[in-house]
Amino acid sequence: MRNYLAFLKKEIYEYTKTYKLLIMLMVFAVFGITNPLVAKLLPEILGSLKTEGIIMTLPEATAYDAWTQFFKNATQMGLIVMVILFSPVLSSELSRGTLINMLTKGLSRTVVILSKYTCMVVVWTISIALCFGLTYGYTVYLFPAGETANLLFSTFCLWMFGLFLLATLLLAATLTKSNYGCLLITGAVVVACMLVNIIPAAHRYNPISLATDNMGLITDDIEVSSLYCTILISCLLSFLFLTISVLIFRKKQV
Amino acid sequence: MDLAMLKEYLPFLIPLVIAQLALGITALVHVLRHPHYRFGNKVMWACIVMLVQTIGPVVYFAFGRGEE
Repeated sequence: MRNYLAFLKKEIYEYTKTYKLLIMLMVFAVFGITNPLVAKLLPEILGSLKTEGIIMTLPEATAYDAWTQFFKNATQMGLIVMVILFSPVLSSELSRGTLINMLTKGLSRTVVILSKYTCMVVVWTISIALCFGLTYGYTVYLFPAGETANLLFSTFCLWMFGLFLLATLLLAATLTKSNYGCLLITGAVVVACMLVNIIPAAHRYNPISLATDNMGLITDDIEVSSLYCTILISCLLSFLFLTISVLIFRKKQV
Repeated sequence: MDLAMLKEYLPFLIPLVIAQLALGITALVHVLRHPHYRFGNKVMWACIVMLVQTIGPVVYFAFGRGEE
């Protein structure tokens, strides 16, 4: 346990020193502020483009539009930025050989993997909470009448998908040597999930539903209970991926 | 966009500009102080970091920065 905490501290220190923490927080803060603003300004921008002879009827922007922006940005750019920033999670230390000293001094390899995962999860949680908080605050300010259903649950689903993605990333990092290989495998897993999603029967059991059904949850088109199974499967898969990556890293030549 | 509208959206624009500038300037300082990159040169990275909002600094720290 002491090793775990010490390595966790080192990880957090590394994220602040390599500016990764700052980038994650700033990028998600920018998204958080932009979401309601774009939703509010989009009708006005389109309205100013109006030319003679074209009649455009633009609906008044609502809180839904702000949350559409939030789930669009967070699930696409947000997750992409996160995966890119975290992709050298193992490869940088393996290629520089800085891990060897600690491992030969008796640091358990399980601890290395687990604390790396914990640290990524902590950074992801803070970032998504920041983005959610900013979007929520500004949306309430701009659209006081807006009522949305299942907002927290929908964001929780997105967070859950982030955990799944990070577990995949860590497994990919233990399987490959370079961070490009790691990016490639993670991308391949996401694409595979999207392809599986074409089959309607698989939709309920596919982890990617957590990142695609968010808007349906907010507009109440999708039942909350229909995602319980997906959440369970994502938890199990994340746990499985984490276990496999620990097992692989134990055998891996450093 | 007229002045009244600009005033209305000031509480959004100030934090947005601060966040964007913080990212850009941190990356710019890093670009200027660590002149070793995996590819490209100083001028190229300085332009990318300052001109491409949000994505520029991310790309620099993820792919551009060299080993110390």
